[in-house]
Amino acid sequence: MTTESASFRTSLKPVWCAGCGDFGLLAAITRRALPNLGIPNYKTLIVSGIGCSSRIPAYIDTYGFNSIHGRAVPIAQGAKLAKPELTVIAIGGDGDFFSIGVGHLPHAVRRNIDITCIMVNNFVYGLTKGQDSPTTLHPEWGEKQFVSPEFYTPINPILNMTTYSLSTRASFIAQGIATDVPHLGWLIEEGIRHKGFSFINVLTPCVTYNPPELFNTIKERASYLRDGELVELPDSSMEKPWPHDPSNISLALRLAQSPVLGKPHLGIFFQGK
Amino acid sequence: MRRSLTIGIAGTGGDGVVVLGTLLQQLAASQGYFSQMPKFYGAQIRGGGSAVKLSVDAEGSSLPKDSLDILVCFDWGKYLEFQKELPPRADTLVLYENAPPKEIDLPEKSFKIDFSGVSQKATGAPRSKNIVVLGLLNRILALQEDRVKTAIDNNTELKLLKKTFPALEAGGHLLAELSFPELRLSPVHTALPKVIIDGNTAVAKAAIRAGSRAFFGYPITPASEIMDEMQDELARGKGAFLQAEDEIASACLAIGASLTGAKPLTSTSGPGFALMTESMVLASSAEIPLVIVDVQRCGPSTGIPSKSEQSDLNHAIYGGHGDAPRVVIAPYDVEGCYRLLIECINIAQYYQTLAVFLSDQWLGQTPVATNDDFLKKEYAIQELKRPAGKDLEDYRRYRLTEDSISPMSVVGDPGLVYQTTGLSHNEKGRPAFDFETNQRMHEKRWHKLAPLCRRDDLVKVVGKEECSRGIITWGSSAQVVIDTIKEFELEDKVKLCIPELICPLPDKVERFVKASQKLLVIEMNYSGQLYRYLRSQIDLPPNTKTYNRAGGRPFSRKELTGPIMEIIR
Repeated sequence: MTTESASFRTSLKPVWCAGCGDFGLLAAITRRALPNLGIPNYKTLIVSGIGCSSRIPAYIDTYGFNSIHGRAVPIAQGAKLAKPELTVIAIGGDGDFFSIGVGHLPHAVRRNIDITCIMVNNFVYGLTKGQDSPTTLHPEWGEKQFVSPEFYTPINPILNMTTYSLSTRASFIAQGIATDVPHLGWLIEEGIRHKGFSFINVLTPCVTYNPPELFNTIKERASYLRDGELVELPDSSMEKPWPHDPSNISLALRLAQSPVLGKPHLGIFFQGK
Repeated sequence: MRRSLTIGIAGTGGDGVVVLGTLLQQLAASQGYFSQMPKFYGAQIRGGGSAVKLSVDAEGSSLPKDSLDILVCFDWGKYLEFQKELPPRADTLVLYENAPPKEIDLPEKSFKIDFSGVSQKATGAPRSKNIVVLGLLNRILALQEDRVKTAIDNNTELKLLKKTFPALEAGGHLLAELSFPELRLSPVHTALPKVIIDGNTAVAKAAIRAGSRAFFGYPITPASEIMDEMQDELARGKGAFLQAEDEIASACLAIGASLTGAKPLTSTSGPGFALMTESMVLASSAEIPLVIVDVQRCGPSTGIPSKSEQSDLNHAIYGGHGDAPRVVIAPYDVEGCYRLLIECINIAQYYQTLAVFLSDQWLGQTPVATNDDFLKKEYAIQELKRPAGKDLEDYRRYRLTEDSISPMSVVGDPGLVYQTTGLSHNEKGRPAFDFETNQRMHEKRWHKLAPLCRRDDLVKVVGKEECSRGIITWGSSAQVVIDTIKEFELEDKVKLCIPELICPLPDKVERFVKASQKLLVIEMNYSGQLYRYLRSQIDLPPNTKTYNRAGGRPFSRKELTGPIMEIIR
């Protein structure tokens, strides 16, 4: 066995900025999910796209492939289909999964191939130094994406990846936060255990390009979902809270539609059969 | 008696043109005749024009001749679309159902026959008119009656004829009413039944033979049949099959499967091939075996989806950003589609590289009746070079070795875990951005393919070595060149070189060029892509000639005679 340490880490030092949320994800995978699942490292393949978070396979002592922008999901499916006994994880950023590679997601969802897709959502293009991504929030425009305000009122809300995956009926959908490693580790573990396609949206702070108030707000307003307990809703919501039931897709959709700055829900939104 | 006959059939979608051609080809094959049947069709989904040009030959597999011995026409309007592909001569026998328009000048031996009426009488419905024609053609060609009956009883493909047998017989009886010079086929030497296979089917069968256990593709004309065939094969529990959401995904799915050692295949045509470009250079850079079959059609852009061209050579050789070495292989006949696809998978595995297989619409969609020995013979199957010895203690995925090929573990191998990337990487597969590593890894990837230049067996040379005139051609064009040289008895005057391995270019091509004072390069693309590539690789004789033009119509022998005679003179 050539595992460099029992912690599933390789000896390579990450390129990320100090304080980057990607460290949280790395810890959640290598210190929580993989050791808890007890799957040998050689039976696991991690495929990533391009971006800050996509550098992660080099730091994890499993089979790994830092591939090309937007294509982690098809590459991961190819490996899983050819060798179903493998545990296959696709990791990418918001640019990867919701911009260049967005066309692959609904198909992965409908096929329900048993891979775990982890979207590291830092709301920005970090590697290329701070450009807007499809999930970039502009609170001054009310969570609308910039199009061209002179000619068009920005009517398209930012792409809400959780709502999107739910509406295409992904069979496991969860949202975690990179700053809570044990909880995120647990979500990833559950995603991998789930038989079928699982999608985990990880709210990840970018210490370099996010305005600091973004993550302060998200952390302040975050609310954990617990089975059977009443969900919390954004202050502006007129709805009556309901007991959380991850088997109910309609309720999950309502949760996912909460604006991320209004009420970021953390936990398993939906788990189908 | 005729050694070979070329029969053109034209009509509209519902006339059963292709069914008629296919059944005739099958009946002839069951009696040991060779044949080829290129198909021509228009852009309509249904109800458009449709034509076939079937050559039946007693001695060997030959292309249809330029002009027809027999023309069967169900619809003159549709025939006009294919007139250039199906030209009659003054002595062509023409059998037709409706009066032709004014602009068509019928040859002397033309017969208007009410095929629908004969079918109506024999079967109670007009729609078996194509079977009536089949019965008549059986008699004209003098196929053996008793063996036709046995074939219908035993061959599942011919089952349709059991129900329509009265139409077949009624068609046969029509012969007595017609008078024309004899068009009987000479008997075959050995009446061994022939197998009927087209290039697309051959590719799929070869992939399975080479050990491919995964296929990913997206529908596209004229490559879809490979996907259909692979689906049938792999569905029988032999492996993974998925129709992808696009060709980017097809290539990426294949790359993922290749990491597990599944020898995956993907197939496409021009526009899809373009979409695979980024994946091609990823496979080259990360040294992941990837085989892409491109069944070329007319480009650029959507071009002419249903017609053949050889214009993706540039993309196969140079496509992609950065310096990404790869292998390009091009078959020129159906046997090559089978043998070379196995070779292509072998090479991709052995050299851990991208290998592009350039077929084309003509090769892919033309059913050929031929001997089946190439399907039955033994082929060596290559596997990945796997880690052994010291690798097992300190595994480096891209270890620099003498032959530049690093042993590759597959996902699932214990103790041989590695991480790889399309980033510039070191021997361990880890990102490395220094010049020295970048340079060394380029050298490794280019050097490892060098032995392929010594693959003389992948260059076919025909003719006498001492000949000072040489022709180089590739892909399906080679078939017409071979036939032209034969038909005009030019074997002593010109020699022919057909590189099946085009990139890297085998040394044998250079030797051929050096031994030729005059050279002609023939290919079906507007810009002379092979010619330009050859010029970049070797010194060509100063007055090297080229004959190249866009696709959209097959080369004819008559057309090629001009440029060939010019270099012989």
